[in-house]
Amino acid sequence: MAVARLNSYALAATIIVGALAAALPLIGASRYQLVLVYYFAYYLALGQAWNLMSGMTGYVSFAHGALAGIGAYATVMAMNAGLPLWLSIVIGAAAAGLSSLVIGATSLRLRGIAFTFATLFFQALTLLIVRKLPETGGAAGLPLQEILPIWLPQLFMIVLAALSTILMMAVRASRTGTRLLAIKGDEAAALSLGIASARLKLLFFCISAVLAGLAGAFHGLFTASLYPDVVFSFDTSITALAVPLIGGVATAFGPAAGALLFVGVGELLQIIAPGLHHVVIGALLVAVVLFMPSGLVPSTVGRLRDGRKGERSPAASREFAR
Amino acid sequence: MSVSPTLVLQLIVNGLVVGGLLGLVALGLALIFGVIRVVNFAHGEFITLGAYLTWMIAGGLGLSPFIGIPAAFLSGALIGWIVQVLFIGRAMERPPLDSLMMTYSLSILGLGLFSFFFGGDFRSYSAGPNGDFNLAGVTIGLRSLSVLVVCIALGALVIMLLRSARLGLAFRALAQNRDAAASCGINIRATERLAFSLAVGLAAVAGALISLIGTTTPSVGDDWLLEGFVVVVIGGMGSIPGALAGALLIGLLQSILGYALDDSWAKIITYLLLYLTLLTRPQGLLGRAAEM
Amino acid sequence: MTALRTEGLQKSFGGLRAVQGVDLTVETGQLLGLFGPNGAGKTTLFNLIAGEMRPDRGGIFLDGEDITRLPGWRRVRLGIGRTFQVTRPFRDLTVMENVLAGVPRSDATRPHDEASAYSLLERVGLAERAGDPASQLTLGMLKRLEVVRVLAIEPKLLLLDEPLAGLSVRESAELLEFVVTLKAATAIIIVDHNVRQCLPVCDTAMVMDGGEVIAHGLPEEVRTNPRVVRAYLGEEAA
Repeated sequence: MAVARLNSYALAATIIVGALAAALPLIGASRYQLVLVYYFAYYLALGQAWNLMSGMTGYVSFAHGALAGIGAYATVMAMNAGLPLWLSIVIGAAAAGLSSLVIGATSLRLRGIAFTFATLFFQALTLLIVRKLPETGGAAGLPLQEILPIWLPQLFMIVLAALSTILMMAVRASRTGTRLLAIKGDEAAALSLGIASARLKLLFFCISAVLAGLAGAFHGLFTASLYPDVVFSFDTSITALAVPLIGGVATAFGPAAGALLFVGVGELLQIIAPGLHHVVIGALLVAVVLFMPSGLVPSTVGRLRDGRKGERSPAASREFAR
Repeated sequence: MSVSPTLVLQLIVNGLVVGGLLGLVALGLALIFGVIRVVNFAHGEFITLGAYLTWMIAGGLGLSPFIGIPAAFLSGALIGWIVQVLFIGRAMERPPLDSLMMTYSLSILGLGLFSFFFGGDFRSYSAGPNGDFNLAGVTIGLRSLSVLVVCIALGALVIMLLRSARLGLAFRALAQNRDAAASCGINIRATERLAFSLAVGLAAVAGALISLIGTTTPSVGDDWLLEGFVVVVIGGMGSIPGALAGALLIGLLQSILGYALDDSWAKIITYLLLYLTLLTRPQGLLGRAAEM
Repeated sequence: MTALRTEGLQKSFGGLRAVQGVDLTVETGQLLGLFGPNGAGKTTLFNLIAGEMRPDRGGIFLDGEDITRLPGWRRVRLGIGRTFQVTRPFRDLTVMENVLAGVPRSDATRPHDEASAYSLLERVGLAERAGDPASQLTLGMLKRLEVVRVLAIEPKLLLLDEPLAGLSVRESAELLEFVVTLKAATAIIIVDHNVRQCLPVCDTAMVMDGGEVIAHGLPEEVRTNPRVVRAYLGEEAA
């Protein structure tokens, strides 16, 4: 059936691209190219994390940067304390997940803007607290004592990006995904149909936070040195939401397009106008919200489809009849 | 730590200055949310606008920074009108997610523009009143005093407008019931635009005043916006009296905590207070239960 | 078998007594029509039964079980389904996805899959639109989707809130015809202003005015009840 067929092509494509990206160091790609691919994977992972929660439910989170940052700090601190790599990563992911439960418990029972505010202030709060605590190195930063070979965090990030994209595909194709979108469309109606809205939101926020935490952890291992003003700046949260919003919210490949755009624009701006980063991202977001609210990929696909075939053919509906 | 009455008065005065500024910001936020049902994340950019404008007038041209106040209001209101017409107004016909993202995107754009044109340096100027005013052992800088006076005056003016003028009536009607307001012959679009312009004009004035007593950076507005949001959440999202009461409360709280602990702790505790409010009484002190 | 019973339901908003002391019962296989002028308290009563608000006093019992304290979505899982006065489709989802979104009641007997959803859509003539986004439907189609969507979760009690509002006489007749076929497995309460078409298909009818029940019984009795006539048409008509 149509959805399942698309799924296996998309799945295969994702695995192949991921494998290719992971194999790049072996086929002699330059250091510069590897870094570009790494950042593509990083933005994609962050973007899918945001997408799984905010893209699917419509509850906007401004905390994903903070969640990634918590993952980074927890993992680096665990590593510095001598814990094995795998455990440190688990701790990073768990720390982010737990934080999401704290935010969610206070705000996801409420509909509307309460959650968004809770995330906004969580981001601000973590920066203030991390700057203060001596254990986290304070404002001076926290270095990773035992630096890993660079290909390792790169590999982790690529795998994370691929897995989160596949997860997004799976959710989109599932009944749960339909229910999340129902919550996004009309929460009152969703509740009236028995959808356990608060629980679903909390569950997906937690999953989303764990993914963001992992992305942050791997990035922390990559940069090998954490500064609170950088790690907890709003920029990471902006990236996490801009990548899927511009590329295509609530889709699996939209964030990939968004991440590609981010890397491309970033490189371009480095050359022509380094100070314009926020201006360009802001302008793109405004344009997308105004003219293509579902994002670049869905809008383009929709336009192509309408151009070629006109109205959706009745044959598509007949597929549902068995 | 001995607590003399002079100290208490001093802290109160300091708190009032901050509270006054927060009041201008929160008033605008409450107005926009009450009348247009939009959470204006771009509000901070108008604060920054007013601050830089005044810096250019006072620092660049060497004129009195008080000229910055009407200049800020007018430019803020004008740009606000354009923004409302071109961007926010259009996003409003869509689901609420879109208008939220619209204002947020505009704030990113605004921050980028300010960073690009003015750079990240801390700006300040020496023009304007200097020196202190002393009364019964309590010291208040003349700059802070001017800020306080302007805030109170402007606040009172806006309250009077809302209570009595026809425009104020239109605002309240729209806030209560959109459809009924429309059928009464109120021009919804014009009223919304006026509400937005007035609100961001006030924000720009707040920015002008902030530049007088603090330093101006591209993110100065966003920093104050964060505090402004705390105020409106605690005070009640669409409520004007809530915004004013909340501003006073937070201003005093931060003054006391800033003295007793430090500024960072003051902020941390304030934000934790916000979480407490969301947990226990999400509609805030004076907001309507349906809002959240 | 009594599907729904309410006892002494009362709800006030400030000084306004929206619902005062309402007792009603509906059995499986019965269609209860709830009528009354605007402001009579019908929608409030609906919201109380559906769980959107808590009563100040009184109890609600589903299949004998006290559900007065349960939140809305729990009542749905126990078998109460409702539609809304102004349709609330999931605009960006397809018609099929709209029907599949719901979560069936805990002791559902029928499968909740595409095949069963498709046959439901066939019964109301929406099968051809299964792959279309709900935003493309006309009002008549949306009203039908609204009913089918809640049917998919196999409710024991169906609350239909003004399902005929905005429909033509013919569309109303068709929708009512469909609703009547649902009686076999469900108890149905229907609220509507279209008394002329609705009343004849009801098994029992209830008329509210000012929060109180002013008539309750067989359709014919209720129609000729002088209090009802007075409430609808004023003193002179009585």
